Amino acid sequence: MNTAECPECGGAISFQSAPIRGEIISCPDCGAELEVVNENPLELDLAPQEEEDWGE
Amino acid sequence: MITIKIGGSRGINMDYVCDDAAELHKAGQKIILVHGAGNEANELGEKVGYPAKHVTSPQGFSWRYTDRQTLEIYTMAAVGKINTFLVEALQKRGVNALGLSGVSGRVMEGTRKDAVRIIEGGKQRILRDDYTGRVEKVNAELLRALLDMNYLPVIAPLAISYQGDAMNVDGDRAAAIIAGAVGAEKLIILTNVVGLMKNFPDESSLITHIDKRQVEASIDFAEGRMKKKVLGASEALKLGVPQVVFADGRVEHPIQNALAAKGTVIE
Repeated sequence: MNTAECPECGGAISFQSAPIRGEIISCPDCGAELEVVNENPLELDLAPQEEEDWGE
Repeated sequence: MITIKIGGSRGINMDYVCDDAAELHKAGQKIILVHGAGNEANELGEKVGYPAKHVTSPQGFSWRYTDRQTLEIYTMAAVGKINTFLVEALQKRGVNALGLSGVSGRVMEGTRKDAVRIIEGGKQRILRDDYTGRVEKVNAELLRALLDMNYLPVIAPLAISYQGDAMNVDGDRAAAIIAGAVGAEKLIILTNVVGLMKNFPDESSLITHIDKRQVEASIDFAEGRMKKKVLGASEALKLGVPQVVFADGRVEHPIQNALAAKGTVIE
């Protein structure tokens, strides 16, 4: 199982399936929305929060 | 002065639209045309072996995923083909139409959406190489100057980002911000349906009038592409455009029909 540390609270985050770059996951401890910015090694960062997060 | 958006989906009769635009232009009506490119861009993508990929946001907005190669195909379809041949059709009818995209003269400028969210395989994902954006500024001075010189501007739905990237933009929202910037009396959005329907696709459920205070609530009735049209209508009204009409672009005199309030009138 892939695990990583939440960059916001330091909590452990487990992935049920292989993480994909760009995937968004919520931290089960602090609720922060996180983005998979790298798959190997697994790295997470806070997901961008845009007012309009859809394309045109 | 009126701004007209011609949808890019199959079914809109461009001859009827150009006949009507030419007749009105010759009668002294100042017109800005903004067109779409969706269907042509899809067909061109298939022909060159790089078919369009459409993605959907968690809120249900869908759009063409526009990586750099898709942007090139989209530009060929929108600027190279549709814009040029719309101008040709108007010129044949004696109208001095002038084609341009929002990139030229920074007619449409805005923020590139370089981090957008999609739903894929039931999961949310961030896309970071999308060349789409939201128009925030319009070179109204240039458009007014063209209108004053009796040109009929025909605008393809591309804009330039503040960093200088060409971007695919939503034609309906682009038309809305243009209408607001130039002080248009009306924004007419021509589609391949009769207007906004309460029970799509039942045309007898056409909503003929929406109070501008209710426009955002009416997005609930909108299916697919119509969601962006309702959003565009809402933005145009907020920018001071007094009336927006969704009208049928498949029939004769589509613009005059819209001016006669046939379709969905939002005011």
